[in-house]
Amino acid sequence: MENNEIKYELKEFKLFEPLFKWARKKSLWIVAFCTGCGGIEMPPLATARYDFERFGIMPNPAPRMADLFLITGYVTPKTLKRIIITYEMMQDPKYVLIHGSCPINGGVYWDSYNVVKQLDKYIPVDVAIAGCMPRPESVMEGILTIIRKIEEGTADGWKRYKENYEYYRKNQDELFGEGWREKDAKRWLAWL
Amino acid sequence: MNEIAIMLLAPIIAGVLAWLLDIKRVREIVGVIGAAVPLIYIVQTYQSVFNGGTINLDVPVGGFTLSFALYNLTWFFAAIAALLGFTMALGMASTSKDGYEWLFALMSMTGVLGVFMAREFVSFFLFWELMTFASFMMVLKYNRSASLKYFILSVIGAYAMLIAIGILYAKTGSFEFSTIQQFMYQDATKTALGVKGAFGKSETILLYLLFLTAFGVKAGAFPLHVWAPDAYSETNQSYTSFFSGVLSKAGVYGFVLLYSMMGIKLFYTLGTFGGHSLFAYTIAWIGALTVVIASFLAVLQEDIRKLFAYSSVGQVGYVLLGIGVGTQLGFEGALFHALSHAIFKGLFWLVVAALILQTGKTEFKDFGGLAKKMPITFAFGLIAVLSLAGIPPLAGFASKWILYEAAISAKMPLVAGAIFLGSGLAFAYVVRFLYAVWFGQMPSDLRNVKEAPLPLLLGMALLGMLNLVFGIAPGLVTKFLNTIFGHEVITGDIYTINTGVGNYNALMVAICLVAGIVIAGVLFLYGAKTRKVEVNDTYQSGNPVTQDFNLSIRVHFYKPLEEALSFWLRISFDKLYTIIAKWVEDFAEVLKNAVYNGNVQSYAWYLGIILLILALWGW
Amino acid sequence: MMNMIIQAVLILIYATFMGFIFMGIERKTMARIQRRIGPPLYQPLLDTLKLLGKRESITHGFIYDFGPIFALGASILALMFLPLTQNFQLFSSSGDLIVVAYLLEVPMLGIMLGAMSSGNPYSGVGVQRGLLTMVAMQLPYGLALIALVEHYGTFSLQEIVKAQQIAGWSILVPALLLAMIVFDIVFQALLGLEPFDITTAPAEISMGPMVEYGGKQAALLFTQHAVQLFAETAFFVILFLGGANNLLELLIKQIAVLFIAIFIASIYPRFTIDQAAKFLWKWPTIMGIIAALLAVL
Repeated sequence: MENNEIKYELKEFKLFEPLFKWARKKSLWIVAFCTGCGGIEMPPLATARYDFERFGIMPNPAPRMADLFLITGYVTPKTLKRIIITYEMMQDPKYVLIHGSCPINGGVYWDSYNVVKQLDKYIPVDVAIAGCMPRPESVMEGILTIIRKIEEGTADGWKRYKENYEYYRKNQDELFGEGWREKDAKRWLAWL
Repeated sequence: MNEIAIMLLAPIIAGVLAWLLDIKRVREIVGVIGAAVPLIYIVQTYQSVFNGGTINLDVPVGGFTLSFALYNLTWFFAAIAALLGFTMALGMASTSKDGYEWLFALMSMTGVLGVFMAREFVSFFLFWELMTFASFMMVLKYNRSASLKYFILSVIGAYAMLIAIGILYAKTGSFEFSTIQQFMYQDATKTALGVKGAFGKSETILLYLLFLTAFGVKAGAFPLHVWAPDAYSETNQSYTSFFSGVLSKAGVYGFVLLYSMMGIKLFYTLGTFGGHSLFAYTIAWIGALTVVIASFLAVLQEDIRKLFAYSSVGQVGYVLLGIGVGTQLGFEGALFHALSHAIFKGLFWLVVAALILQTGKTEFKDFGGLAKKMPITFAFGLIAVLSLAGIPPLAGFASKWILYEAAISAKMPLVAGAIFLGSGLAFAYVVRFLYAVWFGQMPSDLRNVKEAPLPLLLGMALLGMLNLVFGIAPGLVTKFLNTIFGHEVITGDIYTINTGVGNYNALMVAICLVAGIVIAGVLFLYGAKTRKVEVNDTYQSGNPVTQDFNLSIRVHFYKPLEEALSFWLRISFDKLYTIIAKWVEDFAEVLKNAVYNGNVQSYAWYLGIILLILALWGW
Repeated sequence: MMNMIIQAVLILIYATFMGFIFMGIERKTMARIQRRIGPPLYQPLLDTLKLLGKRESITHGFIYDFGPIFALGASILALMFLPLTQNFQLFSSSGDLIVVAYLLEVPMLGIMLGAMSSGNPYSGVGVQRGLLTMVAMQLPYGLALIALVEHYGTFSLQEIVKAQQIAGWSILVPALLLAMIVFDIVFQALLGLEPFDITTAPAEISMGPMVEYGGKQAALLFTQHAVQLFAETAFFVILFLGGANNLLELLIKQIAVLFIAIFIASIYPRFTIDQAAKFLWKWPTIMGIIAALLAVL
């Protein structure tokens, strides 16, 4: 994504903005993308015991329509490429919520060669939930924190991504090598 | 000179001239002028024909009198022929390769105009054969086996018609349509009263079957449609707009003649079945089967020309269905659908001609993403698509609506169910055409495709505009068709048509649609500004994607339907005819080896036997 | 004339709002059946507002933008031709049953056009499945409508409602009861609910035709679904349940129809496409043929 082609405006539509802010916090849609070992913690949230649909949250397979990205566990470089591509397909405003200690500082894999130790260098993070798989109650607390941050207007991961794009891009390229999208696409072409 | 004579002679003279002067620009101009002359005369005679006038022409030739007449029914069909002939000439100005094609295309135009305007069987048959011969020569140039199939089936139909004409002449002593009509009417009253008439029951049924074969072959009715897919595909595509738009209507005109001449006699002879006259019910069911089967086959095709060829066969099935319903409303619906089918199918074939001319490819798997490169052609293709699928403010919907009303008011529910199914299938194959050709990724060898040349665009513009006009104001056509029956079958003004049981106001629909789109547009414009992304920036579950990936489904698009219908697809009339042809060939081979075996002794035996027989009989 | 335009605009706003409430009823009922609490009833309205409030939008070309606009325009058009109640007849004297039955299928063309131009194979598969579902359901749908028209002898929707006011609801006639059962089965396909929701199939092809849609185009698609839901349930009520005298009675009957659809949808899994085609061409078609022949006699 070439950042220099985007002409987006931070203009606030003063008339309808409070209405939109209320709508945004009451209907967050999750990208149905389950990474790592936390993927098993999403179904308990969706089923009858801890039902998150009463907050308006719904899993949606298409990233273009979604605005909350849950990264639920450790992140390897292979998964990180997919996460970056999917994150860039989402439309502003978008929020990222990370579970577990692995994305924060490496967790139990602190000395592994294949795990990304600090996710915040590659993708802007809004709320982090500590634990080695946090229980559903903690995740609900995290979701309520995001809702509170949206209300206050401090959930600005997407703004940080746009403004500091060079920083994030430099880190991504350092990890994967330049032109990693084309190279990776060519690798998968043989399978088709 | 008489208008009819000019209309008949102008195309063929222009064709001969274009063939003789084989210079590129000159022959195109001569051809287009020759095809425009009938159209000018048709437009000139509209007002007088609308008020009930008639124009006659009688030519005495060697003992027979060829007579032609131009009154409201024949003017309608001749107008379709003249209009499509003109757009065909415009299309061929870009796609024709030499003077041979101009000669035969314009010859077939003369043939079909003569068929429509003939008033007795000699000229009818003469011009019928001229038309078949000319179209056969057009197909012969491209593909021999397709033209052979077409020729044999047409010849079988033509001989059936000849036998039927012979029987009619022997019993009634005249070739004129009006005389035969009178005779049949008197014969029918005799049969109704129980007195034996000149035509017995088996003779009437024989006549009916012979005429059904003859006209069914030309129109492409169900068991006899096998020539159509190959013949429509393997010829100059601008000519196919005339071929499938008008020549199949010659078969439809034959059915109309069958009704007007022999209808009452057939009704009294064959009786009724479940409340409908049997002969009409047969025609309606043939039409319904054609619609369903041809539409299903069209959905499963992989080649653009074959898809539209099967679609043409299906749409003519709609017209046969309307005729078979038998009421006046059904006739009006059938004739209106004949006009709108000619308009939108002509437009489709011109679009296909433009595509094949510019890209040189014919199968779906080689196309893709042409909407940016050929936008005007795309716009006209979209109008034709909407008309074929029957979307309300366009011409295809108005005619289908009348057909629905006719079929249901005449209490033929299953036939009307077939119309529903046909419309759904039409939707399906038309969307497949849009998806495979205009959207999706562009293959690398189509990067330099340009817009279609100007004459083709002019022809497409004329037909597209007519689609819109007859869609928003269907009353124009129905007012004219009412004069054929003498009273108001369909009432209402230009924009509304009212059949007594239902009502359709085309202008109101068009206005409300525009209003709805404006409301949606306002909602759309309010949102954030959009930014354009490339076609390969799509969601593939997060995998990175480049232009080398194939992102559109162009082959076997409807494979699940093939699997659902796998049992029925094993039955095919095409294979049946090929098997019969093989038997005939093998039988002839056996005869050849047995009888003409090159052995002098057996020839001597034959000679001896023949002389013996002659001697015994005593010449 | 001015009166009619004001009536049309009021009905449009009412229909959009009630359409969203119907979508909310769908989600809440499904949640309650699964012993959860479920979102509040006005949740789809919030979803649409959120989608409208997105800060950026992408597009794949002109047709990609025009598809949802055309679909929403066609849904509004279909709504305008239904005689909803005694007072709100709108434009229903200008079009009859066949016109409305066709207009309820036109939005699918608009969505398919937009989906096709987005160049995603998932949307291609979604388009294929959507069209084959439509082909499969046309035959029973047509037969049910034909049985209805043969019985009443008229195509005009106003006449059908008037005949039902006099003689009682349509479903009291045996032929039309069969037609209603056939129409109810096909209704699941029209609304996009199980067992015929192979078009969208969220877990399989990522929302099918709508996979590339986001932001304001997705908001338009949601609004279109709301208006379409209202129009289709109103069509069912007008044809088989006797029309309505005022908006409250219409609402109660529509919610009854909607509940039957949701209850069937919450039990069944999805048919694959060739299974759906084989099913719809067997029993519903046979019942439809019997209904049409009974209505003629």
